[in-house]
Amino acid sequence: MSRIGVFICHCGENISRTVDVERVAAQVGTLPGVAFSTDYKYMCSDPGQGLLKKAIQEQRLSHVVVAACSPRMHEKTFRKAVESAGLNPFLCEMANIREHCSWVHEDRDEATAKAIEIVGMMVERVKKNRVLPTITVPVTKRSLVIGGGIAGIQAALDIADAGHEVVLVEREPSIGGHMAQLSETFPTLDCSQCIMTPKMVDVANHPKITLYTYAEIEQVEGYIGNFQVTVRRKARSVDEDKCTGCGICMTKCPQKKIPNTFDRNLGMRPAIYVPFPQAVPNTPVIDRENCTKFKTGKCGVCQKVCGPGAVDYEQEDRLIVEPVGAIVVATGFDLYSIEEKPKGSAIKGYGEFGHGKIPDVIDGMTFERLASASGPTGGKILRPSDGREPKQIVFIQCVGSRAREKGISYCSKICCMYTAKHTMLYHHKVHDGQAYVFFMDARTPGKSYDEFWRRSIEEEEAVYIRGMVSRLYQKGDKIVVMGSDIAVGVQVEIEADMVVLATAVQPQKGADTLAQKLGISYDKYHFYSEAHAKLRPVECATAGIYLAGACQGPKDIPDTVSQASAAAAKVMTLFAKDKLEREPIVARVREAGCVGCFYCQKVCPYGAVEEKEIRDRQGNLVKVVAYVNPGVCGGCGTCQATCPSKSVELDGYTDEQIVAMIEAL
Amino acid sequence: MTSRNTLSYAYYPGCSLHASAGEYDLSTRELFRKLGIGLTEVPDWFCCGATPAHNVDELLSLSLCAKNMELAEKVGGDLAVACAACFSRLKTTQHVLSENDVKRKQVEKAIDAPVPMKGNVKHLLDILARDLGLDRLKQAVTKPLAGLKVACYYGCLLTRPTDVPNLDCVEAPTIMEDVLKAVGAETVAWSHRLECCGANFTLSRPGVVIQLSHAILDSAKEAGADCIMVACPLCHGNLDIRQEEIEGVYDTRYAMPVFYITQLVGLATGLGADKLGLDALIVNPMPLLKEKQLL
Ligand code: SF4
Ligand code: SF4
Repeated sequence: MSRIGVFICHCGENISRTVDVERVAAQVGTLPGVAFSTDYKYMCSDPGQGLLKKAIQEQRLSHVVVAACSPRMHEKTFRKAVESAGLNPFLCEMANIREHCSWVHEDRDEATAKAIEIVGMMVERVKKNRVLPTITVPVTKRSLVIGGGIAGIQAALDIADAGHEVVLVEREPSIGGHMAQLSETFPTLDCSQCIMTPKMVDVANHPKITLYTYAEIEQVEGYIGNFQVTVRRKARSVDEDKCTGCGICMTKCPQKKIPNTFDRNLGMRPAIYVPFPQAVPNTPVIDRENCTKFKTGKCGVCQKVCGPGAVDYEQEDRLIVEPVGAIVVATGFDLYSIEEKPKGSAIKGYGEFGHGKIPDVIDGMTFERLASASGPTGGKILRPSDGREPKQIVFIQCVGSRAREKGISYCSKICCMYTAKHTMLYHHKVHDGQAYVFFMDARTPGKSYDEFWRRSIEEEEAVYIRGMVSRLYQKGDKIVVMGSDIAVGVQVEIEADMVVLATAVQPQKGADTLAQKLGISYDKYHFYSEAHAKLRPVECATAGIYLAGACQGPKDIPDTVSQASAAAAKVMTLFAKDKLEREPIVARVREAGCVGCFYCQKVCPYGAVEEKEIRDRQGNLVKVVAYVNPGVCGGCGTCQATCPSKSVELDGYTDEQIVAMIEAL
Repeated sequence: MTSRNTLSYAYYPGCSLHASAGEYDLSTRELFRKLGIGLTEVPDWFCCGATPAHNVDELLSLSLCAKNMELAEKVGGDLAVACAACFSRLKTTQHVLSENDVKRKQVEKAIDAPVPMKGNVKHLLDILARDLGLDRLKQAVTKPLAGLKVACYYGCLLTRPTDVPNLDCVEAPTIMEDVLKAVGAETVAWSHRLECCGANFTLSRPGVVIQLSHAILDSAKEAGADCIMVACPLCHGNLDIRQEEIEGVYDTRYAMPVFYITQLVGLATGLGADKLGLDALIVNPMPLLKEKQLL
């Protein structure tokens, strides 16, 4: 016979205002199997939990029901308390008499009656609860970091410095990401390359980091602590071990006129190339689409000139399987490109801003390359069309961002600051030039940020015009920018030499495909979703996968680095234990009843159902049944609802328990 | 009723086409007859309220359009509209009423009839480019407009408002150019094709109109256009009828004929000047058409 203890919480006044808690306690005290019942003002408080523990010991309770708020809120709290008093935590259940009762009813008598019924159901249910053993799974203490921008680099270094192995996978031929493209960084104006390249070198030299550049994630299997990740190393056509990085192949390659994407197509590069001189690794890659050898079979110059014989036209993609325990996703962002308005997309585009048609209308990242000392102009601000120095320059903010009717409603967060920075860089380099900025609001919440923005106006003489540009057009060699100044209420027309658009931050292309491989969720813009916006901002809902940087939403460098370190800390927390404890609320197959239809396998969203062979003593195959891998099972119960022969049940939510609840009504 | 081979529409000319823009009406009817597209004028149609009504009272403006749509249903088929302002209002009404049940009920009460939602509101351009199709349009050409450089002028209404599913991309439409290229003309790339001509102010603030229309004429001229093509009687009024006045104010000379879309397409299909109402244009197009050997 069970000895059930029932504890009714007042929740301050939240429950007791509508529910007569004393009457509930008295009433449920009379139910068969209930040995003890009481009420208390705050059950979750320290004295409340103390009361619970004391009662378990003194009354020799076998089961516990806490009637209080939602189990989402405090189930863990009470199960822990029960455990510390010596009972199995899964012999404790919560009856929700707040959200399900006091908060939604006004009539005290009726609410009290309903509360009694809710508690009564849980009393019947808890009688059928089984002792569930905590599940432990081993942890592979290696981690995978996807993306070699500043977020991935920071996370990889932090984890590796803590002594754990890291596999860093980057899609491009070099790590560095967008930060390597930037000129100076706000709000301190230190040179991006100067603070970035040492970190890149650290990554390459770190004994605990395996770096795969020019590589992509092919497949992800497994679960927290035990992932198997297949990485596709794309054929570089250059042997990384042999190549010394002398660069002679690049100088001799006859193909020289390929737009340099790292320089936003402002310069040219050969078919065998490194994206930029400070690239890590400093091993070239052959762009097979543009290489004469691959297109026509002729040429082969690079192979001839390469001393160590590193050029290998036969090289093929290689697949490598890496076992890891945790994954950090740091795939970063891309800029919304006006010229490539996606066909059939909800994004409407800015056809009238002339981007892609008027050569001197460029985007913010292109301006970064113009302003960068390592860029195509050596840091001089020159117009792409004729190489002249622009004397009047117009910056337009919020291009794409915050424009619901265009399809993107979010704020891209970094543009106010980088435009302010651009006006400064421009003024430093073109002393007699004038910068204008069309803006909607200036949003600069960050340490030393507002001061920086004000400096661009007060000291660097940028003219800020509050209002949007309606359109712009080429007139001779000028670009006429038409807009309005809503502060003064007049129409403005500026004849500019160059226009820089602060285009919206978007997730990387293919973010959705990667998310599907990883089994993580994303929002309608394809930014990855965190498990909880406030309390779990770096974790995915899928256990063991963490987020860092702009793949989760627009972020500046300080925020990105902070989040990367946070993600690394989460990984280290996970690696601090040898075994992982998981809630034992998982499905279990009754093999005798299973007919092997595998409907459960089809519906399982976690891919937890495996096949298991049943053999007799002679080793003959009797049948194949389903097996739920407890390490993978998410405890959703979909299989239970699907199974035609009622052979799979979710522990903690068995049919027996549910029926007992219904019958108690 | 749109069947495989025969296209036919309920035709809503709107007030202008029965008054100042008679040549637009005439050329539309002639061109469509030539192309074998049926047009049946909506019986008893009345003003859609175009620019003033929606500024005064939304319910009034929606009801005026809805009533016309109800009358059009008696003819059946999609509604063909020539004037950009009527088109914008009718299209907006259809969109608003299909999205908003409360407003639709109010309007239905006001016009004391259900609002028909099946038929589409279509601009003539849409019918030429999509329903008939550019290929069939090409086949109908007997006299390609070779050598004629045209500035296609959309104005501000043809592709707006932005939140209503519309004729073409709001900011970078190509439908006029597509149609004109199909009939053999050359189109110029110019900056002011989507600019407003000031239509709303044509009576109250002519100064505004002169300034805006001047910028449009100037830009077309600079781009090397021989003429401008419009799809709206209000734009036409400002660019054609006021052209001399604008030339006077800015002390310049354009002599830039302003055609309706149906007049140019009509020319290419072999219709004569009399059938297209070319004599009704204020800036005389004859010298240009003769020079290009199109007449
Ligand atoms: S094979 Fe020729 S074209 Fe191709 S990368 Fe080598 S040198 Fe360049
Ligand atoms: S659905 Fe049920 S019977 Fe079918 S395989 Fe799964 S557990 Fe076995």
